[in-house]
Amino acid sequence: MRINPWSAVLLLGVPVAFLIIFFIVPFGTVAVTSFRMPDGGWSAANYEKIATDAYYWGALYLTFKIALWVTLIVLLVGYPLAYTITYNVRNPLLRRFIYIVIVTPLFTSSIVRAFGWLVLLGRKGMVNETLMSLELIDKPLQILFTEGGIVIGMAYIMLPFMVLTVASILQNINTSLLEAARDLGAHPVVAFLKVTFPLSLPGVIAGSLIVFTLSVSAYVTPSILSGGKKTVMSMLIYQQYAATLNFPFGATLAVALLVSTLLLIAGYLLVIERHAKG
Amino acid sequence: MRLSDSLGRASLFGISILALIFLAFPLLVVIGISFTTTEYLRFPPVGMTWKWYARFFHDASFVESLITSAKLALSATAGALVLGVPAGLVLARKRFPGRQAISALFLSPLVLPTIVLGVAILQYASTMGFARTFWALFVGHVVLVMPYVMRTTLASLSGFDVAQEEAAQDLGATPLKTFFLVTLPQIKPGVIAGALFAFIISWIDVEVAVFNSTPELITIPVKMFNYIQFNVDPIIAAVSAITIYVAIVAVLLIDVTVGVEKATTRRE
Repeated sequence: MRINPWSAVLLLGVPVAFLIIFFIVPFGTVAVTSFRMPDGGWSAANYEKIATDAYYWGALYLTFKIALWVTLIVLLVGYPLAYTITYNVRNPLLRRFIYIVIVTPLFTSSIVRAFGWLVLLGRKGMVNETLMSLELIDKPLQILFTEGGIVIGMAYIMLPFMVLTVASILQNINTSLLEAARDLGAHPVVAFLKVTFPLSLPGVIAGSLIVFTLSVSAYVTPSILSGGKKTVMSMLIYQQYAATLNFPFGATLAVALLVSTLLLIAGYLLVIERHAKG
Repeated sequence: MRLSDSLGRASLFGISILALIFLAFPLLVVIGISFTTTEYLRFPPVGMTWKWYARFFHDASFVESLITSAKLALSATAGALVLGVPAGLVLARKRFPGRQAISALFLSPLVLPTIVLGVAILQYASTMGFARTFWALFVGHVVLVMPYVMRTTLASLSGFDVAQEEAAQDLGATPLKTFFLVTLPQIKPGVIAGALFAFIISWIDVEVAVFNSTPELITIPVKMFNYIQFNVDPIIAAVSAITIYVAIVAVLLIDVTVGVEKATTRRE
């Protein structure tokens, strides 16, 4: 469509102005506040406090550790599922049904999903009772309020993102390449490792980035499934803003989380790029 | 077929089926508990009762937060459509310097931590004097859901034959008329899918709403979040189940309009 320049400026300008006013400026406010002191002065003391206190390093470490485990598990479970629906489910109705099963949890609040796990993982929950009736364990396992419990609950939240991202790449792979490899006598596993998997790497990379960033900033799941016994960064940020009401320190924690996440992602992308070239 | 082939295939299917059960089971558990006759959470449920749903609907504060959530999700979706669709149109049809940067700006709320958006809106609204009002929730949610509208709008516009719009304009239609008579009818499924995504993202959000709520102005997920810290009883299962039913309806609507598979795996 031909749009005259003045209308274009208006049609694009209003939404851009909206985002500047209600998105960029608020984020800027957080960044600026992180350098504020209670007496109204300016200083980097908040950053110094985080950098020198082992407690905050511990929270940051736990945040990234959980996010890494979640990313790894979700990749190992999500990739085979994406592969199966893309290549092995031919029946369109079954396919639709499977997609509905994958997407519905995504459309449900993380509270509801954490609540489901709260019930399943408890000492008298179904998971423990099943394991005990199978006589695999003789007393209930403590899963809730541990790192493992948080990882299970978060992997559950993140799985659809990985499946959908990988599936969207797998759909676009030219299957004739795979057929050629098979025709030339490649073992299916070899064909997968040499043809399909390398071609699906963009999906694996994009999916793990999405899952990792979402896991790092997740708040609801860790706060419900940790029972307050484990602390990740998002919970600290919440405490500062909602309980302690120390906005500047909360802002500093938020900036620290944001910057360290971006640094890790940049490092990850750099390694991948090196690898692709080498 | 060789033995290793069928073994590989069987384990692939095995993992996939387990993954699907893993995805569906917690939601089925929540729905199951919401019908238990016991006073405590129990799965499998004992007996069958609607009393937890009745208790929910008799609790004015729950119903009120359900209405707040619905109002917020509807208005944030409308706001994101009014701002996002025209912007998407210009981005898809005009070539100008900085176009890529502006597209990135529209999609960036997607990758930044939602909890930081929540505190940013709280701080900003405090300075501007509208902290913890419906407007603070509204602007936060418009920012939050805009990328979803933008993504599907841009995707539908890029697969669109521009010649039709040009023909309409050559025949004397105004740009506005061209948009409503030629463009919109064709990108409608994509826009509807984007709107449904936007609605649901606002509907389930905790991270933005939790910082901008008051005991009177509270969305249903935040209300549930606060409730769950102190009480765990089947009422919360009933509320959860209601939100799951809304999710199922939204997914089915997307499936009818554009197809769930297409809406969730299409690349721009």
